[in-house]
Amino acid sequence: MTALTIQLSGVSKHFAGIRALEGVDFACHSGSIHAILGENGAGKSTLIKIMSGVLQPDSGTMAINGAPVRFASPTEAAAAGIVCIFQELSLIPDLSVADNISLATPPRRFGLIDRRAQRRRAEELLARIKCEDVDPNATVRELSLSRRQMVEIAKALGKEPRVLILDEATSALTSRDVETVYHLLVELKEQNVASLFISHRMQEVKRLCDTLSVFRNGQHVETFARGARSDGEIVRLMVGREVDAQFPPKPERPRRPAHLSIRDLSWENRLNGVSLDIGKGEIVGLGGLDGQGQKELLLALFGVLRGLRGSVTLAGRPGAPASPAQAKTGAMRIALVPEDRKTEGLMLPMSIADNLLVGCYDRVSNGPFIDQARARQAVAEGIAKLGIKVGRPEDAVATLSGGNQQKVVIAKWLMTDPQVILLNDPTRGIDVGTKQELYRLMRELADEGKAILFYSTDYAELIGCCDRVAVMYGGAVIAELEGEAISEEAIVAASLNVDTRTAAHDAPVGAVAAAAVGA
Amino acid sequence: MTLAIASLKPEDKPVVLASAFVLVILLVGTVYTLATQGTAPLLSPQYLVQQLQTGSFLGIAAAGMMVVILLGHIDLSIPWTMTAAAMMATTVGGDMAIPVGIAVGVAVGLFNGIGVAYLRIPSMIFTLGVDSVMRGLMVAHTGGFAPQDAATPLMRFFAAERVLGVPVAIFVWLAVSVVIAVMLRRTAFGRAVYATGNREAAAYLSGIRTRLVILGAFVVCGICAALAGVLLAGYSAKAYQGMGTPFLLPAIAAVVIGGTRILGGQGRYVGTLIGVVLIVLLNSVLSIMQMPEAGRQVIYGSVIIGMLLVYGRGARVTS
Repeated sequence: MTALTIQLSGVSKHFAGIRALEGVDFACHSGSIHAILGENGAGKSTLIKIMSGVLQPDSGTMAINGAPVRFASPTEAAAAGIVCIFQELSLIPDLSVADNISLATPPRRFGLIDRRAQRRRAEELLARIKCEDVDPNATVRELSLSRRQMVEIAKALGKEPRVLILDEATSALTSRDVETVYHLLVELKEQNVASLFISHRMQEVKRLCDTLSVFRNGQHVETFARGARSDGEIVRLMVGREVDAQFPPKPERPRRPAHLSIRDLSWENRLNGVSLDIGKGEIVGLGGLDGQGQKELLLALFGVLRGLRGSVTLAGRPGAPASPAQAKTGAMRIALVPEDRKTEGLMLPMSIADNLLVGCYDRVSNGPFIDQARARQAVAEGIAKLGIKVGRPEDAVATLSGGNQQKVVIAKWLMTDPQVILLNDPTRGIDVGTKQELYRLMRELADEGKAILFYSTDYAELIGCCDRVAVMYGGAVIAELEGEAISEEAIVAASLNVDTRTAAHDAPVGAVAAAAVGA
Repeated sequence: MTLAIASLKPEDKPVVLASAFVLVILLVGTVYTLATQGTAPLLSPQYLVQQLQTGSFLGIAAAGMMVVILLGHIDLSIPWTMTAAAMMATTVGGDMAIPVGIAVGVAVGLFNGIGVAYLRIPSMIFTLGVDSVMRGLMVAHTGGFAPQDAATPLMRFFAAERVLGVPVAIFVWLAVSVVIAVMLRRTAFGRAVYATGNREAAAYLSGIRTRLVILGAFVVCGICAALAGVLLAGYSAKAYQGMGTPFLLPAIAAVVIGGTRILGGQGRYVGTLIGVVLIVLLNSVLSIMQMPEAGRQVIYGSVIIGMLLVYGRGARVTS
């Protein structure tokens, strides 16, 4: 294949006023495996989405070998040879492996799909990634997660990429498949294909990639050859997000006895032995890169997940709740502010009053009947307590701004008088002013004696708000930071599972992959 | 006028439009009778009361159907729930006739609810299957013939007698309406129905026992269908094969014409009431006009589709 260079110049992208990329100049070349590193929200995903035609840049240009290009869709990008394997799987579960691999451009005979050719093609591609054991006629639904990811890779190979983008493509793979992918990437490199590799695992990046680029705050910080920087230097390049909010002071007080105690909590392959204690009056942060089991931990504590192993002790009593309905009542009193307020937190077309009351009808009812006066009073109190800016409580909650919607979700839960509050990234997509109000509110609630577990993708928040931060990696708490030890550098280092204090040693990759995947 | 309608809340707009259409139907029917016969029977209270009496069976069935549709589900087992309740009531007879009929509704509702809420089978399929099973059971029970048992005097009283010149059936419909309306607006269960219908995940994560809510809604629907069936048997003096079959589609149509979102979460009970009145009057005007059956079906279907087109999808709330 001929040599190829993709050059991005001055590319910017904004989402609803929030900048995702700002004036990025970036280039990648054929015959190279190029790693992209950065924290959550550094702009990695936006970058690859622009390169692969999923998103269009607000400004700036992209050029292949000097000729400007502009992709309106992933299909156009694929035609130019840029193929992306996304983190979220794009396979259709009820179609066969062969159908999925040739979905966009099936081989045809007399205008109809040539199933025999399609099957042959699938077999060839699967053989290339040593997945001969996958039956091309099996539906994708029957395959394990790791095998599905491999089918995804076969599908991408089928498009004959000149630039292959892998977004955390190895995170779902078993160690054997990981090795296969490594070999494949090296093979592609020899065939002069450019690979862009996004990974949170420093060890595999160091073993595999020849060039590394660090992104921070939507900007391209630096590109350097492998070995030019130490782990510590790389972590320092990644940190340094702007702190755009003020945090309330943290009180000095001794560590409280555990109110909520988690031991060796496991669930499927997403949680792998989480142990954590949270005391009354404490704000414990959950850190780590996205998708390391933080959301599952919160859902498990709220009684949503079935088949938990390990133990949860709440206020001296063993046992996790069996359902959210049980979690919010009785002695447990757990509240969860869920990840997506629009689909999990609120009934958007319903009124603000209805949304506020939905968790606490038992508190404003006489028998089965709602006491209108008490309900009105409860709504007024909730609105006042959080300073929600509403016209009338009868208005649809959809008419509120994002920040005020999130306040409605929180106010709803405060009406149930919770003792444990689980927060799943509550400040995402809301304005700075409201964020600061929420930080103050969290501290007030902690001072009232509530135990708060706070997951955030924004490290600055974790540092500013939390008494302790537990960093998760591969479904387990890998580090607990307290007091002065909570620094962005420490969180990032723990998130990547690298130790910046000692000289970095290259661990055998197989072992690392096994630890991360199979643990 | 246009502006006034546009500024209405989304759940009120269909109520206003349907009411207006009821007046249009009355007007068109009256103009027709005045022109052809020189009289206006449509406007006489006696005629209207009689129409409402025949409408009360549909009204009671539609009330239950609305609760299920508010959840975004549907109950297609209404026809044979009605028939089974009527047949069991007349078979048992005596004082236990009505309680036994209602118990049939509770049992079918529980069964439907368990299938939909706990076994997670789509309601459209599950209730259709239940309807067929009930039909088979009833054919086995009666041997396929019209049962000879007559309705009890109490059933006849509730369905066909008059008190103060007003059919008792209308009072029963009124009582059911009050219960359903209060339940939907003023009880935790009712609000939970709206919450679950709007966004089941959010309702579940708010600690609502969504499966119990779904189960409860199907039980309510089953009870309403059974009551309608028992009354219909009282009205006809006996139960007969397929007596509930003509009620299924009008019940769904009444709920939807009344502005309840077929996907759940939105709708007012008064809308369902008006929807029932609209369907009953439309049918009676068409029969006064001596429209042949084929034409009636075409007009009837066109009106339902037309009404929904006028309501539009409205501004969808997604953000």
